[in-house]
Amino acid sequence: MPVSASNQPTQGAHRPTLSHAISQIFTRAILFAGLWLVIAGSDPASWIIGLPTVLLAILSSLWLSSGRPRPLGLRLTALLRFLPFFAFESVRGGIDVAARVLRPKVKINPGFQRYQPRLDHPAARVLFLDSISLLPGTLSADLRDGIIEVHALDVTSDLTPELQRLERLIGRLFGEKLEEVRV
Amino acid sequence: MGEAQIALAINVISILLAVAGTFFFIAGTLGLLRLPDIFTRLHALTKADNLGLGLILLALLPHAPTLLYGAKLLLLWVLVLIGGATGAHLIAKRALRGDGEDML
Repeated sequence: MPVSASNQPTQGAHRPTLSHAISQIFTRAILFAGLWLVIAGSDPASWIIGLPTVLLAILSSLWLSSGRPRPLGLRLTALLRFLPFFAFESVRGGIDVAARVLRPKVKINPGFQRYQPRLDHPAARVLFLDSISLLPGTLSADLRDGIIEVHALDVTSDLTPELQRLERLIGRLFGEKLEEVRV
Repeated sequence: MGEAQIALAINVISILLAVAGTFFFIAGTLGLLRLPDIFTRLHALTKADNLGLGLILLALLPHAPTLLYGAKLLLLWVLVLIGGATGAHLIAKRALRGDGEDML
């Protein structure tokens, strides 16, 4: 796994420099302008709405991410591993729930299990919560005091291995190594 | 293989994907009706409907007139995935804590 030392931000009093701020604005501008192009199409007149929208999106994105301990950096190789996993699990999840409700008698044994996530980055946690709901038979119902309440369609089996696997994949996506803290 | 056969093959694949997508939408709706409580119903909605939409968008993808249009279809899917999963989490959270506005 490639580990880039230059991506590690300095801890403590980290004042954003001017070039850092410009690159933050620039990447957001590219991203949001691209999204607008996809949504609105290539008609130049659409930018009458699009330009203010993109500017507001940049501002709110900067505002929402201010005070974050470190910038969001996605690892491309990890993304290439996560996407097929996610697609495959989505299909499995859909087939699983369809098979349960299409029986003459609905086959469920619902209940809750608790899981303590080790992911650190807020965006990673959000992705983890959302991905849990797309895995077969699990739904992230609550996150409180660092504990995720997972609702399961079949509570008899232990969900921990599957959740750990998902968490590791998402951790790699955000450059967080979770292997060493495995229980 | 001629152009007509390729077009036919694409159409057949599209139809199969769209039928599969419709199946999962129906399964999701059936789950909403048959499952006993709010949490299990959310399972059916998030999973079956997301897969259903994904398959239908995949069926439409070869027929997209422009690249931008194809990108729009994929973007739609991503946005619905995020919206669906986040919405399900928020509904489940309110139901679990019992502090929703319309909870008695």
